[in-house]
Amino acid sequence: MNPNDELEVNAYIDGELSTDQQAELLEAMRQDPELARRACELNQMKAQLRLAYAEPPRPGTGAGGMVKASWRALAVSVLLLAVGMLGGWLLHANTIVSTPEPARFVMLDPDGRGQAPAIASDGETRIVFHLTNPDQTVAGELLDEVEDLLAAYEAGHRPLRVEVVSHSDGLDLLRERLSQHKVRIGELAERFDNLTFVACQNSIDRIKIEHGIEVKLVPDAELIDSGVDHVVKRQREGWSYIRV
Amino acid sequence: MINKLMIAGLVGLMALPGAVSAGSAYHKQKVVYHINYDNPKQQTGAMRNIQNHINAVGRENLDLRVVMHGNGLSLVMYPDALDSVKKFKHANATEQMKATIDGLKDQGVAFNICANTLKGREVNYEEHLYNVDESDLVPSGVAELAHLQARGFTYLKP
Repeated sequence: MNPNDELEVNAYIDGELSTDQQAELLEAMRQDPELARRACELNQMKAQLRLAYAEPPRPGTGAGGMVKASWRALAVSVLLLAVGMLGGWLLHANTIVSTPEPARFVMLDPDGRGQAPAIASDGETRIVFHLTNPDQTVAGELLDEVEDLLAAYEAGHRPLRVEVVSHSDGLDLLRERLSQHKVRIGELAERFDNLTFVACQNSIDRIKIEHGIEVKLVPDAELIDSGVDHVVKRQREGWSYIRV
Repeated sequence: MINKLMIAGLVGLMALPGAVSAGSAYHKQKVVYHINYDNPKQQTGAMRNIQNHINAVGRENLDLRVVMHGNGLSLVMYPDALDSVKKFKHANATEQMKATIDGLKDQGVAFNICANTLKGREVNYEEHLYNVDESDLVPSGVAELAHLQARGFTYLKP
């Protein structure tokens, strides 16, 4: 994807394009799967950042603070053009700074580091893994990690819930005909009742529309409407998030 | 490294005397960057993202960690270590990368390494990895990422 496209996509996600420009870009996305995928990634990143900064840092007080804040917003928006990443958030932070929301996370281990993983207020650790990568080697490594984690918690009698959300190209892991890990998924799901494999209905619908393929999932997959909404919802509920 | 971070944190707090009394506590940004891939371009991009993040927010306002596990250890792996470490395809700690990492460390960025990966892939951190000591190790990269998020860290994966 060339830098101009990246810029366009960012503008689109931020709702800054005219109707004509939007139509043009949507057409370009239809013809360029890479562009469409990038747009999807950026949109996810934006959702993540918006969530993370629901309670934004205060940009400072008084006129000096405001000037500094707009300068920073400008600096970050320049950065957005370059890396398409950190951008929306400072601008966003400036607009919602007056409506702080309650803290999302419970802090339990203020000075610990590495010893205790994320623990929810009810004592249960909850982690959502988000898989968008079609690479089955990567998916296999994910299953290794998930298995190690579940086994370690089981051995330590510590409560844990894990979800693997497969979405976009990551859906392949849960497709009956494409998954190279069908047997393993079945075994893991059988062994750990605190592990859930989740498939994104939107991704399934898109495959049907674009390729005319009826996706069949492995028996242990559960369906949700939108993978992106789901991982954002989980984080709002205090789950830790790991992008595979 | 942790000491340095704590000092940076304390200095940051002292620099904001009015914030707490005004009833609008300044929240220092806590951010963890996740690296589990070995593509050198992607890693270089991630380092650039981090530098840009520091430039935008200010090092005194950031507690920034990088957590590496799996293929991500390649970020700090010496290229010639590939002869003895068989379970890696890339080792990206070139002179340039080392300088970049040093620069970020000087600005208070912590680089943490997953001990499970060291064990599972037979990596000797003293021998094969650039500038890693025991205090940089975390028992499990995945658990550390979850742990930091529970402590209010924002998770980013560039």
